Amino acid sequence: MLRACHRNPFLVSVCQRRTIHSKNASINAFVAIADNVPNPNNITVGVKSNICTSELTTTCSSGILKVHFVSPFNATVVDLLQASGAQVIGKTNCDEFGMGSLNINSVHGPVVNPWEPTERRSAGAAREGAPRLALGTDTGGSVRLQLRTAASLALKPSYGLLSRWGVVPYADSLDCVGILAKDVALTQKVFDILNVHDPQDPTSVPSSSRNKGPTELRNLRVGVPQEYFPAELSPSVIDATKRTLKDLKAQGVTIVPVSLTSTSYALSANMARYDGVQYGTRVSPPPGSDLSKVSDVYSYSRTEAFGSEVKKRILLGTYSLSADAFDNYFLQAQRVRQLVKEDFDRAFHHVDVLIHPSAIRTAPLLDSASDGLDSYVQDVLTVPASLAGLPAVSIPVRNSEDGWPVGMSVVGQWGADDLVMKVGQLIESIQ
Amino acid sequence: MSRLLLDGWHVVLGIETHAQIKSRQKLFSSASTSLLSHGSNTNFNAFDAAFPGTLPRINPKCVLLALRASLALNCHVQQRSTFDRKHYFYSDLPVGYQITQHYSPIALDGYLVLPSTGKQVRIKQVQMEQDTAKSIFESRERTSYIDLNRSGSGLLEIVTEPDLESPDEAAEYVRTLQATLRAVGASDGNMETGSLRCDVNVSIHRPGEPFGTRCEIKNLNSVRYIVAAINHEIERQKALLVTSQPVAQETRGFDHHRWETFKLRSKEDAPDYRYMPDPNLGVLAINPAEIMHVQRTLPLLPEASRTRLIEKYEPQGVTRDDIDVLIGLDAQSDNGALPEITATAYFEKVVDNGRRDPKTVINWILNSLLGHLASQEKTFSSNHLSVNQLGEMIDMVASKELTGPSAKLVLRHILSNPPSSASLRQLAVDMNLVSMTKSSSQTGIEPDLSEICRRVIDAMPSEVAALQAGHRNVVNKLVGGVMKETRGRADANTTRSTILSLLK
Repeated sequence: MLRACHRNPFLVSVCQRRTIHSKNASINAFVAIADNVPNPNNITVGVKSNICTSELTTTCSSGILKVHFVSPFNATVVDLLQASGAQVIGKTNCDEFGMGSLNINSVHGPVVNPWEPTERRSAGAAREGAPRLALGTDTGGSVRLQLRTAASLALKPSYGLLSRWGVVPYADSLDCVGILAKDVALTQKVFDILNVHDPQDPTSVPSSSRNKGPTELRNLRVGVPQEYFPAELSPSVIDATKRTLKDLKAQGVTIVPVSLTSTSYALSANMARYDGVQYGTRVSPPPGSDLSKVSDVYSYSRTEAFGSEVKKRILLGTYSLSADAFDNYFLQAQRVRQLVKEDFDRAFHHVDVLIHPSAIRTAPLLDSASDGLDSYVQDVLTVPASLAGLPAVSIPVRNSEDGWPVGMSVVGQWGADDLVMKVGQLIESIQ
Repeated sequence: MSRLLLDGWHVVLGIETHAQIKSRQKLFSSASTSLLSHGSNTNFNAFDAAFPGTLPRINPKCVLLALRASLALNCHVQQRSTFDRKHYFYSDLPVGYQITQHYSPIALDGYLVLPSTGKQVRIKQVQMEQDTAKSIFESRERTSYIDLNRSGSGLLEIVTEPDLESPDEAAEYVRTLQATLRAVGASDGNMETGSLRCDVNVSIHRPGEPFGTRCEIKNLNSVRYIVAAINHEIERQKALLVTSQPVAQETRGFDHHRWETFKLRSKEDAPDYRYMPDPNLGVLAINPAEIMHVQRTLPLLPEASRTRLIEKYEPQGVTRDDIDVLIGLDAQSDNGALPEITATAYFEKVVDNGRRDPKTVINWILNSLLGHLASQEKTFSSNHLSVNQLGEMIDMVASKELTGPSAKLVLRHILSNPPSSASLRQLAVDMNLVSMTKSSSQTGIEPDLSEICRRVIDAMPSEVAALQAGHRNVVNKLVGGVMKETRGRADANTTRSTILSLLK
């Protein structure tokens, strides 16, 4: 396939759209594909289906919005990208409302991993069809874990830097817009475009607090948190981590073991609006039903249209907020969150960034039974940075065991996004 | 402090008031707040309709008005307050939760003074929260319609301690609260148009015994209903307690057709709202300098206003009752339209710093103006008769250019027609009511008063004979004749003296 070369830093393949359509049938990565892309020379971006676009459906991969819900407005991050010349080529599949990390809980069906070992050697070909840039959301790790399927780099910026206006929330205080791109250079460029205060988002950090942090790599001190190496780590991940750290040392980086003791403690309201009244799927109550309580009427739509993972999390969240459970669950969770933040603050007095594996294993098989404990252990690796609102980038790293890419996470103190990306670039260059 | 006894029982009342904040935009969205006149579903945006991906943004004007109200109610303003989500499902709540201030409201521990007794009613707290949409049930179609205009508008919830002891006290509290909120511009406080609603908590107990179980009566939207609902509830609870039955803790409504309270839900059915801090809204921080600035810019409150009026005008013959009626005129704007200026301001403008006698002015307002308005079933409004028109009328009567009766004719004419900006003098001339005076006849425009007197004398010979025989009061009949001829324009005294001098 052709690789067009332009002054525009966003390189793009001219025949991308045709390829997307043909490949999507077997991959199911897109839930909506734009009909016309006015300027084929500009960058195309895939936008996760829980980020609002006024021209394509925003289904959040849920039955309750699958009835062709089109948002009346664009998310701010979409507007910013479009203003810089990028075009939305389609909406990408995801777990329903972002709840999950394996893209299997979607009303549109699961996403099949396009990264197959036989195509691995021709890296460019393997990435054909997929846009070089994607916008996602990361609440507990979903963007950082996407690299396993898209083999691209993933950045979850510091909380509050990228606007959440138009981003359908899962957990307001954790959600971040994430950037998936083919390399750090592109990620940095997109980050710079989107790193703008948005007055429509009350959690958007004011301009005065946004400073370009230090990006000096000399005398870099990298911390390796002990708690992020559970027994469940697969051999391929251990191998990739070891080699990365060795290569960094060879570059003159100091590796320091650190301890984040509250890691193990770390793992609902936003779903109430989906009642089928203003928009979305509405299932009419069957004739003869008791209509005296509004919540009963809503339950017909919600029972049918929400997937099981979403229902599970709604019930969990509702329970933890109920009068009986509030002190034991919600308040305790807030306290734990504070402990997690303090752990990171202490660590960053001694080191500049932290490095650890993003996932306990490479991409699992679709039909393998998901072990509840496994996903809990997996959460340990990504959730703490979300709880603390810290920037984290996940870089695909070679592994010699089974050939699949392994994600390596670099985590920095709040606001150190540029440094985190710089370290990511270093790791990328070592590959 | 001895508590009031009503028929042998102590009555304990607490009131929760929801007042719509008088801002142009809503509490967390930039959509406009609405008036009743606006078409349904014309003032809302994606946030009010709970579209996915929308976020709240606080309106600083609402915070300012909440501050003004809190300070007017003598509250302690919290420098840090927060917002919480109160969750429940209802079709007038699109997003499934209301953003309110449950854990940490903006103001605490204030009080409101009841003017008639000087009693202080303690205010427990003032908080900001969102209003719901309006649902209208069309019984013919058996369909509920939702109007989103009101969804997300700002409300002030003002909660009292259970310090009120009678329906009358409750009524006075509500009226005083309305006046206070209006004075600082925080709310229109109109119950009829819905910008003020009250929930009342009622319990009764025998002297010396602990407080009884309270019932809450929700959504009372007029002072009359509040009084009626409390009275009915007292009787209902009394009837239970005297027969040794317990009063169940319930939430009740008031049926204004049957004039009684009815059960809405019991304690067991009360929902668990699962209050949770709203993670999108941080802490509302208000610095002390700002609080002081707002305090300094507060206008005179109704209580202070009353004191000032009494001090200024009582020495000049205006009674306290007169002043209270004047103040009360604004509290009773039931038609939902506020007068352009308050009745007290109207009064003072006509008095015009002593240019006119206050006693005369207030009599004109309270007797003539209000009287005429009442006969036409209208309430006071400065729109009906302008300050200038009333001033001119009083001046013309004082200078005898208008007789009392003529003035009242002009007044009735003005009030029966759409408001006009014509000067009173012009209207009086047009109606041919300007007094006949000796000087006016000399210009040749007006018929000579003496001429008319002569005509009347000629037309009433028997009365003249009686007068000349010594029955002095008969002259009044002759004066009456002249008045009839001149349609009241002649001055009575001048006429009498003219007739008498003609008959000498």
